[in-house]
Amino acid sequence: MTLRWLKPAFRKQGAAALVSKHSSIGIAAHDDVPVKPPSGYWRLGERSGSGVSILIERRAVWVNSVLILALVLAGITYLCLGSLTLGPREVISALAGQGDMMTGFMVQELRLPRLIAACLTGGAFALAGILMQTLARNRLATPGIIGIDNGATAFAVASVVGMSVSLAPSAMALTGAVTAAVLTFGLAAGSGTQGYRFIVAGIGVGAVFGAITQLLLARVAIDTANAAYPWTVGSLNARSGGSVQLLGIGLALGFVAALALARSLTVLRFSEATASGLGINTGARRIQILLLSVVLTALAVAVAGPVGMVGLIGPEIARALSTPRHVPVVAATLAGALVMVLADLAGRTLLAPIELPVGIVTAIIGGPWLLWILMRPQRSHA
Amino acid sequence: MNNFRTPPTLATEALDMGYGTRRVIDGLDVMLPSAKVTAIVGPNGCGKSTLLAGLARLHKPDGGNVLLNGEDIQRLPSRQLATQLALLPQEAVAPEGLTVTELIRFGRQPHQGWLRQWSAEDQRVVQHALTAAGLENLADRPIDALSGGQRQRAWIAMTIAQQTPLLLLDEPTSALDLGHQIEVFELVRHLAGHGRTVVMVLHDLASACRYADHLIAMCDGKIIDQGAPATVVTPQLVRKLYQVDCTLLSDPDTGSPLLANVRRATEPA
Repeated sequence: MTLRWLKPAFRKQGAAALVSKHSSIGIAAHDDVPVKPPSGYWRLGERSGSGVSILIERRAVWVNSVLILALVLAGITYLCLGSLTLGPREVISALAGQGDMMTGFMVQELRLPRLIAACLTGGAFALAGILMQTLARNRLATPGIIGIDNGATAFAVASVVGMSVSLAPSAMALTGAVTAAVLTFGLAAGSGTQGYRFIVAGIGVGAVFGAITQLLLARVAIDTANAAYPWTVGSLNARSGGSVQLLGIGLALGFVAALALARSLTVLRFSEATASGLGINTGARRIQILLLSVVLTALAVAVAGPVGMVGLIGPEIARALSTPRHVPVVAATLAGALVMVLADLAGRTLLAPIELPVGIVTAIIGGPWLLWILMRPQRSHA
Repeated sequence: MNNFRTPPTLATEALDMGYGTRRVIDGLDVMLPSAKVTAIVGPNGCGKSTLLAGLARLHKPDGGNVLLNGEDIQRLPSRQLATQLALLPQEAVAPEGLTVTELIRFGRQPHQGWLRQWSAEDQRVVQHALTAAGLENLADRPIDALSGGQRQRAWIAMTIAQQTPLLLLDEPTSALDLGHQIEVFELVRHLAGHGRTVVMVLHDLASACRYADHLIAMCDGKIIDQGAPATVVTPQLVRKLYQVDCTLLSDPDTGSPLLANVRRATEPA
């Protein structure tokens, strides 16, 4: 088809002439033209336009495969290293239920549950992070930075140090996370979730809950405070079995929900007006995304406390590896799990026999990372 | 394909809109002519962008209705509305790194779903949108690397791919130089030539006179006059809208009104 509208003659003929002259232009329907997927995609489905057609981005398949492989390797390393170093073969046979009792106990009862907890919490923090970042259109707006982690922690600590209420930590963490989210969104009301007012409100809410946690710990007996302390820095050492199972179920469901929301998430990166113009019910989607992010954060905090920065680093790695065509929820979850496994591995082994809580390791990596994000020259579209 | 056989009607009925207690649009009734280019003009703060936001359902009215084919748009599902009405907001920004084709593909969003992500129809329409906007040679260029006019054409191409009979544009040329403005306006004329109803908010009266079939002049949330530019635009209207005096000429080529000798009004309007 020619570019008639660009013809120079058009300019002199004026608008009225244009309408009549071009009204006959239509495009012929070429039903026999084979459907080619957009570049960079595989297309699954029928050749005709009426049936099912699913696009799979090649880059995403590649990135996710690499992340899974890295996670498996990191996981085996995690199971090998520790107070007693094992070889990969010993670990694999122990996983299969073979080998000597001692190794089997070490791997299956001590290290494997902790590895699973690391994967689940890392994945949940990072998934919650990329959801909140997309919702706020701001890569600083992770649940950790806008105070939700601290809210969950304060309430979970309250349940442990025996305030009058004593619900299970998961339920208390959820209550705290919801409270912090309501406060942050309430304080930023009117200005929307974009811009610094939202972030500043969140930092304030986080600081208040952080102080409440400290206050609670200061007022109880030293033993009780010691028991609750790991939560306040983030550790995989003090997890309760039930909360890990809850997180496992929550992350499985949340992951499926995030996949279902993926198409909307991709469009929500545009402005509110553009997303709405493209047929996204922005109000409903935003509430769903917010809820999902808050619940995932709360369940992960109930296991490991407010492990900072994983919600920032995981999505950042995923975006760096992925194309800008979509919001990489799968890659972010995998990258978060990988970061958490590596951080806890470092925390367990670097200063052995002293164990560094994983939250301290992620803070040491994450602090400079955050500075780099803030100080890096931004391109025009943030 | 692009001749919309039953043209849609978009109208408002006693529309009140505002922000908090501040009333911006007051009891406005308007009917937008089908398959024509309508320009909404008026001074800053007259409510023209608010009216567009109301027509696109971005902003809920305080009273009255916006009717699409006689139906209240507040009651339409989001996706259904997006197959009838496309919107290009002012200064739209795309996620970093997207190419022209990737942006245009987002226009297919309301026609797609999880199990229907890329049909023969999608492929045809995206190709058509590229061609219609004259962007074939820039198809794989990142949006960030385009000139202002090309970028705006890419955004309009996205709305073309949406295949809606109605297209709303909020100041589509506000940040563009003259050459780029003409690129955009000629594309808009091309779309109206294919049966699309285009409504755009413009703050440049001269462009509105040149490229619109129908002009809606607004002041203080009310419509002062509407109709063909040649009949609506008078020195009195220009003074009322912008507090300037001018001499009106007729364009020797197109017959549309031209504003000459524009100066600040000497006596109050």
